[in-house]
Amino acid sequence: MVTVLLIVHGLVAVALLGAITHQALSVWAPARARPGSFFGRYRTVPTGAFTNAIIVLYSVTAVLGAIVYLYFRVDVRPALEQASRWEALGFFDLKEHFIAIGLALLPAYYVCWRPSRNEESTRTRMALTSMLAFIVWWSFLVGHVMNDIRGFG
Amino acid sequence: MIYPSAFRRFAFAFGAAFAVLYVVAVAKKLALFTVYPSLGLVVWGTHFSRDVVDPALGFLAPAMYWYGWAATAALGALVVGLLAAAMPERWARRVWPGWLWVIPALAMLGCVYLTVPWFSLNP
Repeated sequence: MVTVLLIVHGLVAVALLGAITHQALSVWAPARARPGSFFGRYRTVPTGAFTNAIIVLYSVTAVLGAIVYLYFRVDVRPALEQASRWEALGFFDLKEHFIAIGLALLPAYYVCWRPSRNEESTRTRMALTSMLAFIVWWSFLVGHVMNDIRGFG
Repeated sequence: MIYPSAFRRFAFAFGAAFAVLYVVAVAKKLALFTVYPSLGLVVWGTHFSRDVVDPALGFLAPAMYWYGWAATAALGALVVGLLAAAMPERWARRVWPGWLWVIPALAMLGCVYLTVPWFSLNP
């Protein structure tokens, strides 16, 4: 059961990773990229439309991760402690902390992606999107490496 | 659709307050509840394995605080967010919106600092 949950958690995380990366690149990259180029087409997608999907995917990934975390604490972490993989446990702790902080930023992130002509709002949107992208990438990579070190089953 | 400024104030205050309170909860071990996954037990407040089983058998009942820390921070941030929503709009205009990302960024650095002990353990 936990293996199925972990796989679903990973698949939803992949979708989230794609969406947030797309949005983060669009807020940083210039909108004047050559229209016919791959990046030009990539950039011209209305990334504001990704916002709701990102919020749902982030929330679902966090909830699934919170459930899997119970099994991790009982089945996986003791083995990592016995193997003295302290750095892996440290990185995993950071992942949990960052995810919690990111989860609480979702309402503000939602507000920031609403239409606004305010220059300050655009900067805040860029900063929040980048922060969430960092959290998602960090969590994805650490989760993936942890599973490589010691998975379930 | 432009969102009502009360919700905007709530969302901004909630995000920033959560980040601060989360770091405080982790640093001070202020978990609203403790989870013992192997026992299927949830206990109010911060408890340690030695509180529920013999210290020598602590490894059989690992305690989890992450859920409790997040709940503590969420509860506190909810109060701050509601206060911010009730605040007059003219007060809110004086607050620099950049705090919304500066505060969580600093909180993340705080989390890194709190995690440093893991990396100083000898393999």
